Amino acid sequence: MPSTERNKPKDPIETRREKDKTAHITVKYLVESLQAAQRENELLKTELLKSKQIPSNKIGFLLLIIGVLSLAGSIVASSSALAFIGLGLTFWGILFFFIKPIKFVKGTLLESTAISSYTTIDRIIEALGFKGRAMYIPPYPKEVYLPEYLKGLKEMVVLISAEETTAMPSVEEMARKQFMLENPKGICITPPGLGVMTQLEKELRNDFTKVNPKNLTNILPKLIVNNLELARNVEIHDENNLTQVRIEESIYKDLYSSEHKLKSVHLLGCPLASAVACSVSKATGKPVTITKDSASPDLGIIKLWFQTLEA
Amino acid sequence: MQFPLNLSDISLWIAFTAIILLVTSELLSPYSEKLGDFAIEKDRLRLAALLLGAAFVITVLIRVIRP
Repeated sequence: MPSTERNKPKDPIETRREKDKTAHITVKYLVESLQAAQRENELLKTELLKSKQIPSNKIGFLLLIIGVLSLAGSIVASSSALAFIGLGLTFWGILFFFIKPIKFVKGTLLESTAISSYTTIDRIIEALGFKGRAMYIPPYPKEVYLPEYLKGLKEMVVLISAEETTAMPSVEEMARKQFMLENPKGICITPPGLGVMTQLEKELRNDFTKVNPKNLTNILPKLIVNNLELARNVEIHDENNLTQVRIEESIYKDLYSSEHKLKSVHLLGCPLASAVACSVSKATGKPVTITKDSASPDLGIIKLWFQTLEA
Repeated sequence: MQFPLNLSDISLWIAFTAIILLVTSELLSPYSEKLGDFAIEKDRLRLAALLLGAAFVITVLIRVIRP
């Protein structure tokens, strides 16, 4: 008797009800997402308005005018007090123009712009059913001559393989700049930390291909902490082919939070970790994979283990 | 009508301002890019301080050469 009940076709009204219920849940989810996006939009608008309201130019201009007037007054009245005031105000007026930053954005903005890229990568990996690792493949040095059909080898890429164990793709396949690779099966994408790595190179005024890999453990933390101020502290330990990176208070730390549930961030690393992987790969000239990562409960400390593979 | 400050006054003022700027640029945390609502570029502040320091040395040299 129960089997016949199971085989019995569903009541059309019930099916419709179920469909309605699903649609209702979807609509509810979309409305909530829209509301969240609107709230974020409002917050960003407020931030923008605040940044526009900083009247550093006006303050500088005002100080400069008062300073020049005071200096002129000091000459007319032969007053040394007025001259000192004038000198001070003129100086600070000029300084306000000089020390004004070119661009400053909130750190949280960097993280929120990165989330969309990681979500897209997550979707691609899930759709293709890939279960492999990410392998950072170093580019050829800029000054090395390559024929036109091999120009693609001068770009830093990261290969996400379909299988857990993977070999290096052939030179021809890499040179074709393809997204989908057949042998080994996987996808080739631009590393999320490539931009950060370029900035690190700009600060260093040198290409990482020309840097001795042994010096990276000293150079990279200084560049990240002092020059770009992307983390409070960075420690890099290198042993044989294993590199351990400890990042304290990274600006991208929230990408590791369970709230976002990003799988690709563990595969590729956050933009900062990815930049470190790119730098190590470029300096050693060997492919690099992220073997393990861990984040403290408050996300204050992020640890990553890189493995340098033989090309 | 003439400018009421002589070279030693200006030299003293430059030295004083250079010290204030240097101390400020050193005390600013490298991690906080904002000072209240006014964002500043720390490297440029330090550069200005160093330039003022150099200006002070020049004034001292002028006073040594032409006392």
